[in-house]
Amino acid sequence: MSPRGDDAAPLHVLLVEDSAGDVRLTREAFRDANSKVVLHVAGDGVEAMSFLRHEPPNDDAPRPDLILLDLNLPRMDGREVLAQVKADAELKTIPTIILTTSDAQADIVRSYELQANSYLSKPTELDRFESLIRSIDDFWLSKAKLPSPRADR
Amino acid sequence: MTTARRAAAGTARGVLPSQPDDHDSRSGPEWFARELETAKASEARYRGLLEAAPDAMVVVDRVGDIVLVNAQAEIRFGYRRDELLGKAVTDIIPDGFAERLVADALRSEAVALAQQMGTGIELIGRRKDGTEFPIELMLSPLVSEDGVLVTAAIRDISVRKAAEAELLEKVEALHVSNVELEQFAYAASHDLQEPLRMISSFTQLLSKRYHGQLDADADEFITFAVDGATRMERLIQDLLAYSRVGTQGREFQPTSGESAFQQALLNLRGAIEDSGAIVTSSALPEVMADETQLIQVFQNLVGNGIKYRRPETPEVRVSAKRVADRWVIAVADNGLGIDAQYFERIFGMFQRLHRREEFAGTGIGLAIAKKIVERHGGTIGVQSQLGIGSTFRFSLAAVGSGSS
Repeated sequence: MSPRGDDAAPLHVLLVEDSAGDVRLTREAFRDANSKVVLHVAGDGVEAMSFLRHEPPNDDAPRPDLILLDLNLPRMDGREVLAQVKADAELKTIPTIILTTSDAQADIVRSYELQANSYLSKPTELDRFESLIRSIDDFWLSKAKLPSPRADR
Repeated sequence: MTTARRAAAGTARGVLPSQPDDHDSRSGPEWFARELETAKASEARYRGLLEAAPDAMVVVDRVGDIVLVNAQAEIRFGYRRDELLGKAVTDIIPDGFAERLVADALRSEAVALAQQMGTGIELIGRRKDGTEFPIELMLSPLVSEDGVLVTAAIRDISVRKAAEAELLEKVEALHVSNVELEQFAYAASHDLQEPLRMISSFTQLLSKRYHGQLDADADEFITFAVDGATRMERLIQDLLAYSRVGTQGREFQPTSGESAFQQALLNLRGAIEDSGAIVTSSALPEVMADETQLIQVFQNLVGNGIKYRRPETPEVRVSAKRVADRWVIAVADNGLGIDAQYFERIFGMFQRLHRREEFAGTGIGLAIAKKIVERHGGTIGVQSQLGIGSTFRFSLAAVGSGSS
C-alpha cells in the first residue's frame, strides 16, 4: 500500500527554483490543487542536494515524493542536480520533473538522457500554469504508483 | 617599323594606309614614295594616338615580344622604353597573356570588335622592381606588314580592386552584424519573457483573487494591466518566431506541400471550427522547403483568410501552378479584402490595418510569412479587392530545380 493512501499523510514536493515569483506561483497553484502537498524550496542546486542528503541544516528534511527542478540555477544548475540524483541509488527512484522556461531541444534531449521523469515548460499564462500544476498533482501525486520511501528503510 | 591597319575597321579609319590589294594597278617609284610618305605620316599619327591613350599600351607580335609601347606603359611598369622593346610580354604580364594572344589570333573580326568594346580580362602586371599590381587588359588584333600584331590596352586597377575588397569586407561585416542582430533579438525576446511572465502571472492572479472585492477603478486598472501583459507576451512570442526564421531554420528538403498544408489545417482546427470556414485545396506539389516553415506560411495565410472575414461563411482555397522551375502557391479567401495602397505595407513588421478591438493580433504574421518565403529564395505578394477577398501568392523552388 502506498503511504499516500493515508488521507492525512502530507505529500512532500521539493521545488528547486531560484525565482521568488515562480516559487510563490507554484505554492499558490499547489494550494489550490491539493492541500496535502507540502512544498519545500531549494534556491539552487547545492541547497537541493543538501536537502536530499539530509546534510545540516537539513538533517530533518523529509524524503520528497516528487522533485520539481528548474534547469538554470545559480551555483549548481539543474542538469547537475539531475545527474547526481539519478546516480544516487537512494535518490534515483524519486520522480524528478524538469520545470523550466527553456524549450530548447538540446535541454529537452539532455534532460531525458539524464533520466528526467518528464520535461515540462512553464506556460506563460496563469491559467495554463495552474492547470499544469494540477496535472502534475493528478498524475504524479495521485495516479502514479511510487516506491514507498518508508518501505525502503 | 610597324605599319599597321586596324583589323576592326572604323575606329581608326583614315589614320593608317590601306594595304595595296592589287600591286599591278598601283606601282612605280612615285607611287611607292607617296605611299611611304603616307605610311610614315600614318605611323606618326598612330604613335601619337598611342601616346595620348590614358592606358598603358603595349603592342605585341605573334611570338609575344613587345614591339611598341607608349609612355604610360613605361610609367606603369617602371621600365624605360628601350628596355621594354623586344622583351617578352610574359616578363611584364606573367600569366594569361600568351594564351589570349593565341585565342585572339584565331578570333574573327566581329568577335575581336566585341572584345575591344567589352570589359577586359583581369590579370596581374609585374613591374621592373618585381612588385605586382592588378591590371585589366583589353586586346585588339592589328594586321600589319609584319603579320598580325596585338594591341593591349592595360589599365592599372589597383584602386578599383582595393575598393572591391573593401566592399566585400563591408558586405561580410554587414552579414555578421545581421546574424548578431538576429541572435540578439532571439536572446532578448527570450530573456524578456521571464520578467514578463511574472508581471502577467501576478496581475492575472490579482484579477482572479480580487476581482469585485476592490472598487470598480481597481478592477479596470487590473484589466488594463492584464491586457497589456497578455499583448506583450504575444508580441514577444511572435518576435521570437520571427527571429527563429533566420536563426533556427533548417535545410531545404523535398517537402510535400500537401502534408504541410494538412498540418497547418490541424493547427488551425480551433479557428476553422469556430468560424465554420470551408478550406479547400487542389493537389499541392512537392517543393524544396523547410517543412516547419512551410507549415507556418500556410498557417499564417489560411489563418488570416479565416480571421479577416465578412459576415458570410469564410472560404479559403489553396492551389498551385507551375511556373518554369518554381511553384506558385495561391491562398485565396472571400474575406474583407485589402485596399491596394496597403499591399506592400502589410508584409512589414507590426503593420496592422484594424483596431485591436476589431481584430486581435500583433501584425507580425505576414512579416514572418515573407521572411520565410524569402529565406527560401521565393517571393510573396497579394492581390485583393475590398469586400471581395484577397489572394496571397508565394513561390517556392520545385523539387529538382537546383535552385534550392
